[in-house]
Amino acid sequence: MSKYHLGEFEEIVMLTVAILNNEAYGVAIIDEMEERLNRKVSIGSLQTVLRRLEKKGYLESRFGEATAIRGGKRKRYFSITAYGKRVLTEVKEQRLGLWNAIPQLSLKSITMIPMIK
Amino acid sequence: MNTPPKYPLRFFRWFCHPDYLEDIEGDLVERFHSNLKKKGGKNARWNFAKDVIRLFRPGIIRSFTGMYKSNDYDMFRNHLKVALRALWKNKSSTIINMVGLTIGITSCLLIALFIQHELSYDKFQPKANRIARVVMEYSFDGSSDTEKGTFTSTKVAPVFSRIFPEVIKGIRMTDATKILLLNNEPVAESGFMFADSSFFDAFHYEMLHGNPATALNGTNKIVLTESMANKYFPEQNALGKTLEVGTEKIPYEVTGVIRDYPYNSQMRFDFLASFSSLGRNQEETYFNANYTTYLLLNDKYSFASLEKKINPFMEKEMEGSGTKISFSLEHFDKIHLHSPYSDFVQNTSIGYLYVLSGVALLILMIVCFTYINLTTAKSIERAKEVGVRKVSGAVRGQLFWQFIVESFTLCQLAIVVSIGLAAILLPSFNQLIDRSLRLTDLYTVNFFLVVASIAIIISLVAGGYPALVLARIQPAKVLKGVFKNTSSARWLQQSLTIFQFGISVFLIICTLVIQSQLDFIQKTDLGYDRDHVIQLPIDWSHSHQSISTFKKELINNAQVLNASRTANSPVNIESGYSMRLPSMPENKAIPVNANPVDNNYLEVSGLQLIAGTNFTGQQVTATDVDDFDQMIFHYIINESAAKKLGWTPEEAIGQEMVLNKEGIIVGVIQDFNFQSLKNGINPLVLFTASWGQKLLVKINGNDVPSTLEYIETQWKQFMPDRPFSYHFINEDYNRLYNTELQLGKTMNLFSGIAIILACLGLYGLTSYMIQQRKKEVSIRKVLGASVWSLLNNLSSNFVRLVLLAILIASPIAYLLMQQWLSQFTYRINLPWWVIVLTGLVVVSIAMVTTGIHGLKAAMANPVANLRSE
Repeated sequence: MSKYHLGEFEEIVMLTVAILNNEAYGVAIIDEMEERLNRKVSIGSLQTVLRRLEKKGYLESRFGEATAIRGGKRKRYFSITAYGKRVLTEVKEQRLGLWNAIPQLSLKSITMIPMIK
Repeated sequence: MNTPPKYPLRFFRWFCHPDYLEDIEGDLVERFHSNLKKKGGKNARWNFAKDVIRLFRPGIIRSFTGMYKSNDYDMFRNHLKVALRALWKNKSSTIINMVGLTIGITSCLLIALFIQHELSYDKFQPKANRIARVVMEYSFDGSSDTEKGTFTSTKVAPVFSRIFPEVIKGIRMTDATKILLLNNEPVAESGFMFADSSFFDAFHYEMLHGNPATALNGTNKIVLTESMANKYFPEQNALGKTLEVGTEKIPYEVTGVIRDYPYNSQMRFDFLASFSSLGRNQEETYFNANYTTYLLLNDKYSFASLEKKINPFMEKEMEGSGTKISFSLEHFDKIHLHSPYSDFVQNTSIGYLYVLSGVALLILMIVCFTYINLTTAKSIERAKEVGVRKVSGAVRGQLFWQFIVESFTLCQLAIVVSIGLAAILLPSFNQLIDRSLRLTDLYTVNFFLVVASIAIIISLVAGGYPALVLARIQPAKVLKGVFKNTSSARWLQQSLTIFQFGISVFLIICTLVIQSQLDFIQKTDLGYDRDHVIQLPIDWSHSHQSISTFKKELINNAQVLNASRTANSPVNIESGYSMRLPSMPENKAIPVNANPVDNNYLEVSGLQLIAGTNFTGQQVTATDVDDFDQMIFHYIINESAAKKLGWTPEEAIGQEMVLNKEGIIVGVIQDFNFQSLKNGINPLVLFTASWGQKLLVKINGNDVPSTLEYIETQWKQFMPDRPFSYHFINEDYNRLYNTELQLGKTMNLFSGIAIILACLGLYGLTSYMIQQRKKEVSIRKVLGASVWSLLNNLSSNFVRLVLLAILIASPIAYLLMQQWLSQFTYRINLPWWVIVLTGLVVVSIAMVTTGIHGLKAAMANPVANLRSE
C-alpha cells in the first residue's frame, strides 16, 4: 500500500484548491465544485476535510481580508503545500499506471459503460 | 429579515472549535447572503440552519475535554472523586444514609405510584368534564331523616333530557351478575352492565367491530370487550353471534366488540347490554330507584345552571305526594376521589391520599434529617480539608457546591437502588393496598420527572445546611486545630432529633389507635353471630318450593345447623322502606330499613327475640302467591322501631302496621348493628317473604371442607344451571371497613419504617458524638467513674430529647385521632395506655441505640484513648 492515501473527496478538494490558486476559501471552493462537478457540497463536509488535510500537512492556510457580506469575519485561504503537491502527483501517477495496465480489449467496453448508464 | 437566524448561529458559536470559528462563520454568513438573493429569506434561513447542523460533526466540534476543557469541569470531576472517597471512607455513615435514603425513597416511589394511579381515574374519557352523575335525595314530609345516594329511577334520564336544554343525553346504567354458558358449563359473569343506547355518545370506547351509534339500539343487544369476545368466541368474529344469557337462556345478539379499556375507570364491565332488554323503560315513578344515571351536558359550565333548575322543577313534580325528592349533580371526573358514593367501583377518599402523601413526606423528612445530622456531626473531620481548600483559593460557592455534589451522588445511588427495590416490592405492595399497579406505570416521563425532582430536592434539603456550615468555616481556626461543632449546629442537631422522634411517636400513636379501633370493630358484639355463616347467591326466580326442599336437604347433614333465604345478610341491610300505623296518614310515614326473610333467619344469624315469637313456615308460605293483593305479611321489628312507634316491646306484639301493606307484628328483636359502626342503629323491620337472592347457611365449623363439599353436591343436584359459589359473611363484614383496614395496614408498615429510620439516625449520631467524647470518658473513668454513671452521662442527653419529642408529638396525635374516631358512632375511648406504651417503646429503643455506643466507650480501656495525642 502506498504511504499516501487520499480519499476520493479529499482528492477532489485538493484539486479544486489547486485550481483556485491562492483564491481558495470555503465558499469559493464549494461554488467551484458545484459548478465543475455538478455536485452538492455542504460546508460541514468540506470544512472537516479541509481541516483534516491541513493537519496531514497537504494544505496550509492564511487569513485574508474581512468583508461586510461576511459579517466582518475574515476569510481563510487554503493553498497546497509542496508536500501536498507531491502527494497529488503520486496519486495521479498511480491512477495512470492503473489505466495503462488495462488491456485494449476491455478498455473499449469500459469506455462504453458511461453510455449504457 | 436579512440577518442569519439567531439560535442556529448561537448554537454554532457554542460548539465550534475556536480556531475555526471565525472563518467558518464568515463562510456561513456569506453563503446565507448569496442564498438570500437567489432563493429568498425563508429558504436562506433554512439552509443556514441545515449547514449548521451539518457542521456539527467531529473535527469541527470543539473538544469539551482534553486540552480545551474548562476549569469548572475539572473541579466537578475532582468534587465527584472527593465525594466518592469521602463516602467510601466513612462507611458506617454512608451505609446509614444509604439505607435510610433507599427505604425512604422506595416508600415514596410506591406511594407516588399509588397516588398517580388513583389520580388517573377516568382521565381517558375525553368528555369527562361535561358528564354528570345524578345523586338523589328523598325524605317524607314531617320527617327530618333523608336518604341520599346515586340510586335513581328509570324516569330521571328521559325526563331530564327532554325538559332541560343543558342535557344532551341521559344514560341509565345498572350492573348485574349473569350466568353464561361457556363450553356448556355455567359461568357467573359479574361484569355484566346494562346501559342506554346513548352510552357511546358520552363515553369513549374504541369499537373494533360494529357501530357505536347503533350498537345498543333495541332489546337483547350486547357489546363485548375484546377479551370476552376471545373467551366466548375464540378465533372467530363475534359480531352477529348470539349469546345465551341467564338461567332463562335469553338470546342476545352481539352488536359490537370494544377494545379492552384501562383499569382505572369508575365503571368496569365485560359485557354491555342494551338497557331496553331489562323491559323497564317506563317513566311512571321516581321511586324504584335502582339505577345509576349519567347526563351528558352541553359543556362544563352547564352544571351550575342545570342544578339551579332541577329543584324547583322537582318541587312541582312531587307536589302533594307527601314526599320530597331532590337531585344534585356530581362531576364525573371528580367522582372517584371526591364522592362519598361508590357505585360500580369502590371510590378512594382523597383524604386517604392526603394521609399517604403526608406519611411519605414525613418519612422523607426523617431521612433528610438523619443526613443533615450525620454530616454536620462529621464536619469536624472534613474541616481540615475545607481549610486547606480555602487556603488554596477556594471560595465559598465552590465549597458549597462540592458538598451538594456529595449529597447528590449519594442520593443518585439511593434512587437507582430504590427503583430496583420498588420494582421488587411492587407485588407485595399491591396486595397490601388491594390494587394492581403495574411496573410499566413506573416508567413514564412524568414519573422520571418526579424522581429527578425528588433527587434534587433531597440533595438540596439534606446537603444544603451541612454545605453552608462547612463552606463558612474559617481556615485559620481550623488549621490551628481549634475547631469544634458550633453551638448553632448542635442546636440544630438536637431539634432535628426531636423532630425525627416526634414524627415516629406521632405515627406510632396513630397506628395503635387505628389498630385498636379495628380490633374493636372485629370483637364488638354486634347483636348477631356472623361466624361460620356461608352465603350462596341464588336467583329471585327460584321458586319457594324448590328452595325449601333444598334447605331441608342441606339441614339433613349434621354439620349444617340451619339455612335461610333472604335478600340481605345481617351484615349490611340498606334497603329503604317506610312504615306507618294504619291510623297514620301516608305522608307521616317513618323511613326504615327492611329486609325480606324466611322463618329460619333469626336462628341462622343468632338474633335475640325479646318479645313475641319467630315467624312460622306457614306465615312465609302465605307470601308465596303471584298476586300481591293476596299476600299476607307478618313483621318482626327491632327495639328502635318499636320505640319509634311508641310501644314497649311487649305492647308491639299483635299490633297492625303498614310496610309493603298491612300486616301483624309477631315479634320484637334486640337492636343489632345491621350497618357499619359508623352509623347508629335505625329502626328495622324484618318481613315474611318467599323470595330473596341469598341463601345463608349456618354450619358448626367442625369440618368446613367436607361440609362445603356436601353443600356443593346438593347444589349441583338442585341447581345444575348455576355455578356453585359461596363466601363467608365475615368477608362482607370486613368489606364494610375496607378503607379503615387499608389505612391500618399501610400505617402499620410506614410507622414501622419511620421508627427504624429514626433509630438509624440516632444510632449514627450517637456514634459520632461519643467518638468525640472518648477522651473525656477515659479521663472520667481514670478518675473513678463507674460504667453505669458513664452510660448515664452519655445517653441522658439523647433520652431527654426523645422525651421532649414524645411530649410534643402525643397531643397532636391525640387530637388528630380523636377527630378520626368521631366518624364512628361506635368507637373506643382514646386509650391513655397507647401514649404510655408508645413512650416506653420509643424511649427504650432510643436507650438501646445510644447504649450500644455508650457501653462500648465506657468499657474501653482508657489507655487506648489517652495514649496518643
